[in-house]
Amino acid sequence: MRISTNFILIDDSSFDLFIYEKLLIKCGIASTVRKYFSAKDAHRWLRENGPTLPETVILLDLQMPDMNGFEFIEAYHLLDDSIKSKVDIFMLSSTIDSRDIERVKSNPYILDLLSKPLDIEILHDKLVALKLKD
Amino acid sequence: MNDSKIRLLYIDDEEHNLHSFKASFRKQYDIFTTVSVAEAQELLENHVFHVVLADQRMPVMTGVQFFEKIRDKHPEVIRILITGHTDISAAIDAINKGEVFRFIDKPWDYKYVENAITHAYEIYKTREDLKQRNLELEKANEELDKFVYSASHDLRAPLMSILGIVNLALIEEDLSSQNEYLELIRQSVKKLDTFVINIIDYYKNARGVPIIGKINFDELVTDVLATIQYLPERERVEFITNIEQDGPFYSDAMKLRIIFNNLINNAIKFQDQKKTNQTVKLEVKCEADGARIKIEDNGIGISDEDRVNIFKMFYRAGAIKSGSGIGLYIVQEAINKLEGRIETKSTVGEGSVFEVFIPCITNAKD
Repeated sequence: MRISTNFILIDDSSFDLFIYEKLLIKCGIASTVRKYFSAKDAHRWLRENGPTLPETVILLDLQMPDMNGFEFIEAYHLLDDSIKSKVDIFMLSSTIDSRDIERVKSNPYILDLLSKPLDIEILHDKLVALKLKD
Repeated sequence: MNDSKIRLLYIDDEEHNLHSFKASFRKQYDIFTTVSVAEAQELLENHVFHVVLADQRMPVMTGVQFFEKIRDKHPEVIRILITGHTDISAAIDAINKGEVFRFIDKPWDYKYVENAITHAYEIYKTREDLKQRNLELEKANEELDKFVYSASHDLRAPLMSILGIVNLALIEEDLSSQNEYLELIRQSVKKLDTFVINIIDYYKNARGVPIIGKINFDELVTDVLATIQYLPERERVEFITNIEQDGPFYSDAMKLRIIFNNLINNAIKFQDQKKTNQTVKLEVKCEADGARIKIEDNGIGISDEDRVNIFKMFYRAGAIKSGSGIGLYIVQEAINKLEGRIETKSTVGEGSVFEVFIPCITNAKD
């Protein structure tokens, strides 16, 4: 089984947005990619476009100015369940801080912490496992 | 003068004891006396005492009871009990319970009392120093903690970006796009290098010995501008400088360079790309008492919420164009070390003004 789904990238680094969009498309894992510089903008878009949202995977950076990854999750928590049911969130970060890792593990909305640089095969395996569970 | 004297509070119901004590020691110590427990408590409330002496036999409460009463509220003051011979068992008990530091046997001997007070003050001083040291350590630890956390991000993030680009370049069949990837790698390396340079600046500033010398603001500004002339944003910005310096000015050139470098870099980096008349104005007025530096831009401006936070370590304002959040923190540290001050005014969409005052270091020689 080869997965192809919709992605939302949230990262304050324009490099990383560029790299991961290219990588996701090149590897055929993404049918569409939306990129957000700011977690606030991404949250607003989700809120406004929730009803028509297709199945979506969010790759969320942790350390961002203004609204960081965890703050995004807090705001996401308040979104309608009909939106949340269509979204799977992975955190994508270069962090090696054990407190961050603990926090990610204990958060019910974050499926896993993927370390940068993103390994597409690891992500793909996790998405397959997710599909099989459904 | 009084500040350097040991300050004592002596409580005794027999007033002649207080008088004779005062007569013997008033030259040496700053002495407060009272016969009332209530007044003693009030005095403790309103003054800083190093040592408190109390007579054990008083009508309202014993000296030990008095100490118990004040101990929680004033733990730092060192307690000495004055007792007659018959109260010795009570005194020993009090010492063992930690209520008193020493006891003085009545009738007291001048040398013995002096010695007790000297030791008591040493203990007081040591504890205060320790407390101060602990506070400083806590602050240093907190900063270190924050530093390690943020540095792991700011050092690793560009490296991981580079690895990501390399991975992407390796699966790219179209060889003509390799240059595009190389350009991204170059930018990422530059970002990392800027961060490393900032960290080195910070440590030079925080730990290094200040080197005070004659400052020529014209030269200093020219030097700083030379380092930024290759910034991609620099081209579009009109730069107006106005430097007035008549007399000699003494300060630490390293720290001034850090201040100018960061403020000018920010003024250029946070320009409003929609504006066609991007301008940075730099003014230096150097007078006898100090230098007034003003850096004004018509860039994107700073929101009120950000303005109170921008000098904090690793605070990054806004989602666009932000660096590591260490630049203005270093500026603030450098200004503090030079005993200067900085003020920020800004309107979102219109621009920002940073005004810095740096006092001239007057006892400097060439």
